[in-house]
Amino acid sequence: MARVLIADDDADIRDLVAFKLVQSGHQVTAVEDGMAALRMVREQPLDLLLLDIRMPGMSGLDVCREVRSAPETASLPVILITARSQEGDIELGFAAGADDYIIKPFSPRELSSRVTAMLTRVDR
Amino acid sequence: MINTALVTWALLCLLVFVLMLSLLTVAVRGARMYRRRRRERIAAPVRGLLLELLCAAEDEQDELLGRLARIDKRTWAALDPTVAAMLGKVSGRARSALVRLYELRGAADEAVARLGSRSAARRGRAAHVLGQLSHRPAALAVCRLLDDRDRDVRLAAARALGRTGDPVAVPHLLRSLRGARTVPPNVVTAALTSLGRDAWPAVAAGLRDPEPLVRAVAIEALGMTGAISRAAEVARALREDADIEVRIRAARALGRLGMPDGLPPLLAAIRPGRPVAQRIVAAGALGSLGAVAATGPLTELLGDRNPHVAGAAARALLRLGPAGEAALREAADGRPGPAAAQARAALAEAAVGGARHDVLVEVAL
Repeated sequence: MARVLIADDDADIRDLVAFKLVQSGHQVTAVEDGMAALRMVREQPLDLLLLDIRMPGMSGLDVCREVRSAPETASLPVILITARSQEGDIELGFAAGADDYIIKPFSPRELSSRVTAMLTRVDR
Repeated sequence: MINTALVTWALLCLLVFVLMLSLLTVAVRGARMYRRRRRERIAAPVRGLLLELLCAAEDEQDELLGRLARIDKRTWAALDPTVAAMLGKVSGRARSALVRLYELRGAADEAVARLGSRSAARRGRAAHVLGQLSHRPAALAVCRLLDDRDRDVRLAAARALGRTGDPVAVPHLLRSLRGARTVPPNVVTAALTSLGRDAWPAVAAGLRDPEPLVRAVAIEALGMTGAISRAAEVARALREDADIEVRIRAARALGRLGMPDGLPPLLAAIRPGRPVAQRIVAAGALGSLGAVAATGPLTELLGDRNPHVAGAAARALLRLGPAGEAALREAADGRPGPAAAQARAALAEAAVGGARHDVLVEVAL
């Protein structure tokens, strides 16, 4: 069981991701903005971070950069979530230190597989 | 002399008006929030069921679909906005399940009936739902909304038609570009692009339209969808079309299509004496085409009198790969002058830009 944090300002996506990952046996915390995500990252031990790129205030990219810049969280796996129309963000995401990305609309099954693959890679 | 009583009275009236307006705004917001919360409260017991359906394995879906199809009208009305929103957020089996749920609830028939509603919001939402469901039988009915008196309804109809996947919509979409009630070209282009390859013959027919905007949009859509079987027609548009905007779009489309048919008209389009905008886009398209045969003509352009054309040629040479890069190095090391400067600038840009270089060039064009 992994501890996963999902940050997305869209309640539908947040609930869907949380539901699927809990169903897959993970412990999930959901927040709706970048600031709250960063606070959680600093306060709680986590195994994986799922970040929506476009969030009001602090974006997913900003959170990712902050996570990578702090030695204690630098190795935390980060998966970015972005809309199909904003695929240009993917490159910026990798530059910010993200490990993988998921494009909306996505299949919950694919999301679960990506999370599992990422956690397996980290375990090795 | 100013009448003090009159000014006081006017100020009081203004104050009362501002107060009433503020109260009205607060009341409207409050009512909206109340309605939203009420809807969330009513939908809460079945929201989990919906999430379960979206995450369910195939063999578990039927039972969940049955339960959701049986929920009462009031609860469905509260859950419906979430279901509609989810259609655009999930893909694969989850999306198919939502479409089946709508079919079971008879939502497609209901939406078709609402296309004729007196409320613009209802007409637009009905078109949106039919598009999300990719409901082909309703394509012609949705086409009629392209001429709707409400702009938002026209936009919703165009987007919905792109999602229905029915090429019957193409002539209607192209026609919506002209007249008093139009749809913006970018929305029509996106809809035509979504229709994919089945729509190519009808889109290519748009190249013969008397209206330049229609021809330009048709070409753009063919380029975006990779309509390689239509490359010859696009090449003809670049050679023969009277409108500069159409020729520019044709040049860009030929670059995207990447077919050999594109090389001769593109080489002709970069010649001196042609419009500068056309020469810039055609030079960029030659880079996208990746034809080594374009190395010589593009190298000649490095010394062009117009620096934008010369810059576009330098960046296009980079995109040609080793042959183009070698030509740039030779020009950079050659006789000092504008051509050498353009070559050095492009090489330096590539050195610092790395992988982003191509993206920047594409955006610039």
